[in-house]
Amino acid sequence: MNDAISADGAPRGSGSRIAAAPGVAYILVIMVLVFGALSKDFLSAPNLLNVGMQSAILLMIALPMTLIIISEGLDISLGAVLTLASVVLALILARGGGLALALAAAVGVGLVFGLANGLLVSLIKMPPFVATLGTFGMAQGLALAVTDGQSVVGLGESLESIYAGSLLGVPAPLAFALGAYAVTHGLLYHTRFGGYVFAIGGNREALVLAGVRAHWHHVGVYVFGGLMAGVAALLLTSRMNAGHPTAAIGMEFDAIVAVAVGGTSFERGDGWLFGTVLGVMAVGVLRNGLNLLGVASSLQVVSIGLLVIVALLIDGFKRRA
Amino acid sequence: MATAAPLLELRGISKQFPGVCALDQVSFPIYAGEVNMLLGENGAGKSTLMKVLYGAYRADAGDFLYHGRTLAIGSPADARTLGIAVIFQEFSLVPFLDIAHNIFLGREPYRIVPGLIDHRAMHAEARKVLDLLGMEYDTRTLVHRLGVAQQQLVEIAKAVSQNARILVMDEPTAALSERETARLFALIRQLKREGVAIVYISHRLAEVFALGDRITVLRDGRKVATLLPSATTPDELVHLMVGRAVDTTYARNFCDQPGELALQVQGLASDQGISGVDLELRAGEIVGLAGLVGSGRTEVARAIFGADKVTAGTVRVYGEPLAGGPNIAARRGVALIPENRKQEGLALIRSVQDNLLLASLAKLFPRIWFRPADGRRACMETIDELRIATPSPLRLVRYLSGGNQQKIVIGKWLKAGCRLFIFDEPTRGIDVGAKAEIFNLIGELVKSGAAVLMISSELLEIVHVCDRAYVMRDKRIAGHLERGELSEPNILRLAMHHE
Repeated sequence: MNDAISADGAPRGSGSRIAAAPGVAYILVIMVLVFGALSKDFLSAPNLLNVGMQSAILLMIALPMTLIIISEGLDISLGAVLTLASVVLALILARGGGLALALAAAVGVGLVFGLANGLLVSLIKMPPFVATLGTFGMAQGLALAVTDGQSVVGLGESLESIYAGSLLGVPAPLAFALGAYAVTHGLLYHTRFGGYVFAIGGNREALVLAGVRAHWHHVGVYVFGGLMAGVAALLLTSRMNAGHPTAAIGMEFDAIVAVAVGGTSFERGDGWLFGTVLGVMAVGVLRNGLNLLGVASSLQVVSIGLLVIVALLIDGFKRRA
Repeated sequence: MATAAPLLELRGISKQFPGVCALDQVSFPIYAGEVNMLLGENGAGKSTLMKVLYGAYRADAGDFLYHGRTLAIGSPADARTLGIAVIFQEFSLVPFLDIAHNIFLGREPYRIVPGLIDHRAMHAEARKVLDLLGMEYDTRTLVHRLGVAQQQLVEIAKAVSQNARILVMDEPTAALSERETARLFALIRQLKREGVAIVYISHRLAEVFALGDRITVLRDGRKVATLLPSATTPDELVHLMVGRAVDTTYARNFCDQPGELALQVQGLASDQGISGVDLELRAGEIVGLAGLVGSGRTEVARAIFGADKVTAGTVRVYGEPLAGGPNIAARRGVALIPENRKQEGLALIRSVQDNLLLASLAKLFPRIWFRPADGRRACMETIDELRIATPSPLRLVRYLSGGNQQKIVIGKWLKAGCRLFIFDEPTRGIDVGAKAEIFNLIGELVKSGAAVLMISSELLEIVHVCDRAYVMRDKRIAGHLERGELSEPNILRLAMHHE
């Protein structure tokens, strides 16, 4: 009965699905054309580089968010955990601690919160939204508490040079983003763990019956999120050369938007990592373009909401067609 | 061919679930190099026994003897170490992983670092297994793109690739075509020659005799017999499977003079696989819809009700064509009381009153306003009428017993003024006393002029409650039994493949 579709099996690696371009790809092309026509600055090389740099931190959150959502989960604490890790890093540097210690502490914060999220979701079987809503509040509250709500400044020059630096001619933020993508891609498509992420979302029972300790892998998905938030904190703090207790507020919203727009399903254990990259670019281009056109940031949030709905509508129509 | 001692022997296995004894002192010997058939009607305990064997359930009592030595199987991982592999009836596949990864899920070959998958080796191995089964698909195809038969083949490939010493197959041919079945049988014969012990669960008697070396029959969680195929007949097997003690609490006055045509279904087909379904139902009648689990009974009910997409055929209710979805069906006086009442039929965390009024709000309150006093009155009437045991209409439904929950589901539609009721497994998970009350209730429904279509896996319920019955097999109506022909063996003969 299904013999007709035998030959077109889509391999799971990246690139394979570009032929079946998701809604976000069309939107991205249209946005670039429209913004390019409306603003002469938009298509300039410095501006496009700027979009990429500004999107790096979002990508580092959106990549693990993709894995979390493929596993039929959600992590709304990532923005707050990133913020907390950032102010912890800044505080240690401001008090004269070394960069290595500060980075270790930031990553430690990420791991602790990731582990907490993972244990609550996987072992205690709390709904992911509720569990991470709790840790979101804790991380955000702690970030305000340890800083008294003030920015942490006076971090010296060692940190600032990271964001401004470059690796083999690639600006540091882009190098971070590329590295994060390479690691996440390898993890998702080339390790057992990655396969189990799809299995946890698609059919957890199958994994258990295969004799795999599904719950530990499930915890691992959230731990990876925390880890990436900890590393991203280095980039975030370095960009501002300060620790702001509200620096990454709402970034989880943009990350979830990017994942959804990139074609990852919230309930079928289906996902596409490169789609998330496109999603992050769409969010970045939209914000940048609207900035250039002088649109108020409150209206930018509205347009990002619109972006999700339009992208998913296109995908919905394509699936039916 | 019979080996001296079984490879693995399950001895005196008992398993209790709340309210039911699923397995009672079952012994099941599994011989190497043989196809060990396991037979029994719905609910006889076959699946439970297999779950115990695979470590998915822990037995309350009993032993496993492996090569004569006692051991414990406490988890699926233990079962794997022993070389037990299972082809599950409910697919244990991951939709968005490819065929190769599904076959090797949990056993991925790695290179250099454990955890880093060797995709090339995995696809090459997968190709070999698929060739064995004559499946030509690209191993990179995502499983969600496959049809049911192909998914079944992947499931089989997954178990075969484990080089198991004991291979359990739960109705492996249910979804396969003739060609694929022939391939599978050839493979089974080859595995047998290699000394693999095969446990094979089937409802197709033809297969039982074509493949089986030994047949074990379960009934009501007990082992009835272990026989050699040469020493038995299909008829004997059917009688061994049924022969259950008759419970007289179901006795009712049957309908002598059915009324007008309440439901007329012609050539019905849906996107869920049923096709060519014809049935008729008159006012005052209780008509059974029998068949084995998975034969398409629920799908027929859902198609009539408009809950699944109808692809062909017509449904007429009291002479008028019905189409357009559940809301239209409900408005036309059709009630579907679903099998899974906790998920589909009840809001457990709402009160008895809320649940009872849910379906009838529009009828009780044709205008916008909800009048609490009237709602309460209607609700109290229903509680009395159905004898629902609840301390108050405001009691949350989750605190009531299964029987009382079921009465609420029925009461919900009663208040809505329905004339055609479709019950899907109305007594699942309900104790004996409440069962009788549910049947009395259904009896009263038809006495008051309604028509009832009743789906049940319990053959006895069909025999004792229904005026007549349709029997389904493979998503089609396999036959119709009038009052006089209605008996357990007759139903089972139609429900099973008996070529």
